[in-house]
Amino acid sequence: MRTLLFTAALLLGLSLIAPASKAQELTISLELPVIETAQYYRPYVAVWVEDDAQQSVRLIALWRKEPDWLKDIRRFWRKIGRSETELVDARTGATRTPGRYQLSWDGLDDAGKPLPAGEYTVFVEASREQGGRSLQRQSFQWGGTAQHYTQEAMPELGELKITLN
Amino acid sequence: MKNIIAATLLALCSSAATAHTLWVLPSHFVLSSEDSWISVDLSAANMTFVADRGVSPNNLTIVFPDGERHAFAQSYQGKRKSQADHQLTMDGTYRIELAGPARYFTFFQQDGQRRRIAANKQERSAQLPANASEVLTTRSRSRALSFVSVNAPNQTALALSKEGLELKLLTHPADVVATEPVRWQFMLDGKPVADVQVELSREGELYRDDAGRELLSSDAQGYLTFTPQEAGRYVLEASVQLDSTDALTDRVRESLTLTFEAALP
Repeated sequence: MRTLLFTAALLLGLSLIAPASKAQELTISLELPVIETAQYYRPYVAVWVEDDAQQSVRLIALWRKEPDWLKDIRRFWRKIGRSETELVDARTGATRTPGRYQLSWDGLDDAGKPLPAGEYTVFVEASREQGGRSLQRQSFQWGGTAQHYTQEAMPELGELKITLN
Repeated sequence: MKNIIAATLLALCSSAATAHTLWVLPSHFVLSSEDSWISVDLSAANMTFVADRGVSPNNLTIVFPDGERHAFAQSYQGKRKSQADHQLTMDGTYRIELAGPARYFTFFQQDGQRRRIAANKQERSAQLPANASEVLTTRSRSRALSFVSVNAPNQTALALSKEGLELKLLTHPADVVATEPVRWQFMLDGKPVADVQVELSREGELYRDDAGRELLSSDAQGYLTFTPQEAGRYVLEASVQLDSTDALTDRVRESLTLTFEAALP
């Protein structure tokens, strides 16, 4: 019953917000750089979207292991991790080796509801044991025209490419 | 010499009128793992977080997120700093507090000498010599505080006792972030108190030429607003001295230190 209602709400939302046009999608291309060090541990990484009041609306990805070090993804921890236990569990994935990864966002919030058009910011945060922490952020207009952004590489994150179709 | 230091430390715990700042410094302000242990350093020193004198951990307690107050599981008084450990067995915000009860002293002049007795305003008449003059009773107290959050922070351990100088933490200590404004309110015996003198210092003073301490004060409604510019660990040191109409004292001298961290944005 819950699923049925949810689906109905979703269909209703979609029909109101994106009539007859192809659905907008945000594509996030991030890179975990190769880091030469004596003791390399894969970074803990979080990717999420905040609204213009700096409230998280959607956790997109979380690559991590032990809970002890979750707090070290500092902004993620404050905005989401410390209070959204179920969401954290649901989005948790394994840590990744260096390389380029592509993620996408469909404009839905964590509850699956479509968000209104407006300014949002995507965050990518990486924290590495015995290493550093990098935070990349890029604001964009959801519901606006096609956009493309790049953010320069940081010590723990390669160049970030954001595309809104 | 030992007695002089002991007396000094006793004075530190009961008075703001000394150069040394008393602080508690937890090993972590934020934890994301259940049943974590916390270690707390206690020291009195001139330079922030450069330990100078270990103080007695006897009056150190920890208030759990459910409001229950506990003694620390183990503690040790060292020469330069003391240490205490406790296991944090529930989610929420903990208050670490080093504080004794308020102490009353009555000062007076007798035969050209300034003297004092441990008595409040009601007790003093029975103890004062007949020729005592310039009689003044003070109530003094100091507190050193810090807050640690495990997973989701909560408000219970932030509650005020309405006794002495306290800080109403409108910005939760777990939400203090570099470059973002902090708003707190000073309360004395549960009422807002204006013109509390505040000195804000940040760790690492030993390694920079400009200590960068900020001198602040509370406004007419007791509010203190500031924006920490750098992420790191800070000590806020506050003191107030006021004449009082209390039945037990003529003057109130209170001091408070709060150790907190400003997180990375």
